[in-house]
Amino acid sequence: MSDAEALARKIFREYYRRTEVEPPSRLLEREFGFVLFGSKGMIRHVSFKSAMEMNAFLRSRYPKHVYYSSAYYEKPNAERMDEKGWKGADLIFDIDVDHIYTPCKELHDRWVCRNCGAEGWGFVLKCPKCGSERISRKTWVCDTCIAVSRDELLKLIEFLEDDFGISEDEMYAVFSGHRGFHLHVEKEALREMGQDARREISDYVRGVGIVPELFLVKKGRRYTYKYDVDTPGWPGRIARYLLFKYSGESSALDSLEFPLNVWKKIFDEAVSDGKSEIDEKVTIDVKRLIRLPGSLHGKTGMKVMKIDIKELEQVDVLKKAVIAGDEEVVVRMEKPPKKVLWYTLDPGREEFRAPLHLALYLALNGGAQLVRVAR
Amino acid sequence: MKVLLTLNDYAKYPFLPEAFNRIKENRLTLDELGEGELGREVLGEAVERVKKVIRDRVYPAPLEDPDLEVAVFMTSLILAAAVSDRVLWERVAVAFSKRTSVFLEAEDSAKIVYIGWRIAGWQVVLEEEGAKMFFRDFIEYAPEYSGKWKLVNRVLSGGYLFVDKVELARLAETAVKKYVYKLLESVKIDYESLPQSFFAAIEEVSREWAARRREFTLIGVKISSKETPKYFPPCIQAIVEALKSGKNLPHSARFALAAFLSNIGYSVDEMLEIFRLSPDFREDIARYQIEHIAGLRGSRTKYTPYKCDNMRSLGLCRWRCEGVKHPLQFFYRALRGRRPRVVEEA
Repeated sequence: MSDAEALARKIFREYYRRTEVEPPSRLLEREFGFVLFGSKGMIRHVSFKSAMEMNAFLRSRYPKHVYYSSAYYEKPNAERMDEKGWKGADLIFDIDVDHIYTPCKELHDRWVCRNCGAEGWGFVLKCPKCGSERISRKTWVCDTCIAVSRDELLKLIEFLEDDFGISEDEMYAVFSGHRGFHLHVEKEALREMGQDARREISDYVRGVGIVPELFLVKKGRRYTYKYDVDTPGWPGRIARYLLFKYSGESSALDSLEFPLNVWKKIFDEAVSDGKSEIDEKVTIDVKRLIRLPGSLHGKTGMKVMKIDIKELEQVDVLKKAVIAGDEEVVVRMEKPPKKVLWYTLDPGREEFRAPLHLALYLALNGGAQLVRVAR
Repeated sequence: MKVLLTLNDYAKYPFLPEAFNRIKENRLTLDELGEGELGREVLGEAVERVKKVIRDRVYPAPLEDPDLEVAVFMTSLILAAAVSDRVLWERVAVAFSKRTSVFLEAEDSAKIVYIGWRIAGWQVVLEEEGAKMFFRDFIEYAPEYSGKWKLVNRVLSGGYLFVDKVELARLAETAVKKYVYKLLESVKIDYESLPQSFFAAIEEVSREWAARRREFTLIGVKISSKETPKYFPPCIQAIVEALKSGKNLPHSARFALAAFLSNIGYSVDEMLEIFRLSPDFREDIARYQIEHIAGLRGSRTKYTPYKCDNMRSLGLCRWRCEGVKHPLQFFYRALRGRRPRVVEEA
């Protein structure tokens, strides 16, 4: 175990000693999974009878990562999936900047081609030098990332409230502890939905499968738009985009006439403007393990933090989520991110001072060495 | 919810709980079904119905006497359940729901909505010429996830969307199918108290099914002996698997499979052998459609299957195949011994 891991372990242990973690709803029907410091595998199929028992476990094992099942089971601790007895699952959405373009990636994310060894800043799908898709990445979070993913989250919440009729008190947001947010919907009527139904909801939010012809009326050889800005759902969302895009030419949507291929391009733009960038895999999966709010993220040392929807726009997420202190530590690291959390680092310096919470993150996520730890 | 059901409705919709209850009230029990002239008539009719489903994928029209119809329907479920093969259950459920759809299409919205509520817990608000439906029920019972059946193309507000009468009937048809399948799953037969005549009936139905089933298994072997399926992309394999297990596929899946097979050189007859596994297979219709897709009819264009993106939004793909944008691309690469890496997403 590295020095950083040993330090993190100590910090985690202190955190769980002084913290009473709130258990998930319907605790008895949930499965838990843990990764401990110093071991690679996951301990799975754990269940708890009470909040006290769960906290006692966290205090005695202070895990590196803590997960629980979005699903409810008859026997959450059964070892085989078919013996667990699936009863339903919360509806979960995951917004992760890994899946979203942000300008700050050039400032903190690095990639290395595992084929030819080329490397650089930013995000690439394949190696610009040799074209290989075997890329390893080192990614970081900064306050710009949080702002971008928060905007996606707010769009998602609007979809859920306005279109799907899910009220604020049936959902809550969670800072994932690293590069984004989770949104949990706990609504009785939706619990038993299967994968297909959840895929439909995910496709809806992502604007997948829109057929422009169904939104248009044929007028001669051209087409006009069928709905107006007050229409609910995607039809209104697209109408508002049209108004925004063409307000200079005409404020009346009725006068917009285009051939179908032009409409298709406009629809693509409207969809990418209106959709929320969720990771569809998480929503579709009815047996997923998700991070437990109140636990700590083992790659960042930050808290997985429940956030009331009403406070989402005000709260300073990263500052509130760090749990380690401000005491200065000397850190050594090659090519540190230029922008990370709310700090700007000098990329030319390989040895520098950093507050403990930043040093811990650099060490856990990027292999930085802790040269001198005060205390 | 208040909807007036007539006795006639019980004959059309014999699966409704109130129809079942009438039989109980009239004290028509299994014992009686096994004995007497009426009992023999009911049992005989039920045997014929299951056999008709097995042979022709058709569930026959209802008898005029509603009580008799409900008894025959119940009995046919018991017989099919006794065969304990899910492929047969799916086929019975599909055939019966197709029979029901003819009646549903002629009903007013209120009655369709009532049936949906009674068998599937639909949350619906009646409106002029249709209803506002809870999105959960719409996506659960939509016959496919594309075009107007895809939620993203609808006006969704506060969790509800307007569904017209024709669509309501189509959604109810799926609800009936799923409900009948559930009924089949839930039938518990107490063989101790089963009248003797039932054993003979179950035997007769089982024999008929076993003969048909053997044909399918042979087809299954033939597909695998062609050795091509191991080169199929996971999406196409999943469709073939669904067909083999007797699932009723949405139109989009059938098109994707037919277009794929025709592009890799399957003949119309070879494709028909595969589609024969479908619970609502009718050779004349299937042949016509397949010939169309293969470019032997109509516009004479040979269709290519959907590209991966479209497969994905149609709900037919939940994989990522490295460097592959089209199912055919996967096939040809795999055939050359460079099978793309596949990651399942959900």
